Amino acid sequence: MSFEEFQNRARLYVIGALESDETEDFEAARKEYGIEAENLIAECYNLHEAFALSLRPAKSSDVLKERLMSMVRSRQAK
Amino acid sequence: MDPLEQPIATPEPVGRRGARLPAAAPELEPGAATDLELMQSIQAEDPEALSQLYDRYNGILKALILRVIHNEAEADDLLQEIFMEIWNQAKNFSAQKGKPLGWMVTLARRRAIDGLRKKQAYARAEERLQMETEQQPDAWVHNATQEEINSGDTRILVRRVINTLPPAQQQAINLAFFRGMSQREIAAKTNTPLGTVKTRLELGLKKIYDGLKELRDEL
Repeated sequence: MSFEEFQNRARLYVIGALESDETEDFEAARKEYGIEAENLIAECYNLHEAFALSLRPAKSSDVLKERLMSMVRSRQAK
Repeated sequence: MDPLEQPIATPEPVGRRGARLPAAAPELEPGAATDLELMQSIQAEDPEALSQLYDRYNGILKALILRVIHNEAEADDLLQEIFMEIWNQAKNFSAQKGKPLGWMVTLARRRAIDGLRKKQAYARAEERLQMETEQQPDAWVHNATQEEINSGDTRILVRRVINTLPPAQQQAINLAFFRGMSQREIAAKTNTPLGTVKTRLELGLKKIYDGLKELRDEL
């Protein structure tokens, strides 16, 4: 697999859109390209952030946060 | 005309003054802990750090969850579970593999898609999505005005990049990212040949990826 093709697949990989046969080829190429591949994949994960940041933030209640923090503190106390 | 053949709008120049980096954390108050510092404090089991991280990102993560499951109460439940998972799994976060927000979004998306499937709401959501996409194929994004661009809002900058894509590419990415669909599932859902779906995803993601990089270089 050329590195250009690997780049294309990396972007599909990070959003989970590779088919299983493509994933096998991708993983083999990932090993072959080593650190260069890992750096590219890490960079591609910025797409996740971008998609999330493209949405208008939604409001959640203060009660939810209180409940969360209460759960965290009770877990800590154990 | 096949949407893939539609000309792609050239993004207008984005003003430098006051603009924030796309795909980056919201601007912090002076002296505020960075995301990475908060993650390190969470790894050291400091609940205050989780509280701050929650304040910073609960809106973005909830929007992402809502985009997947379309149910306010379920979104709140999932949001709580996700922040508990952030607390419990913080030790698995590695700054070498990416930024905290990216890690949280990845985790939230996976949980939301799992939640969608587990609760067997998939079919209902699909119907809703189908109606949305049929009525308004590019509903994911809206055209940003110059005023919004000048406001320096990260969301608008990112949307602007996404908005350069033809609707068919946006739809394919939307189904893959927010619905967790495979290429085959997208092909079946949209009555589109598998090869075309693959091309749409590859082209669309490349444009977004390159567009974000360009914006980062510009700012």
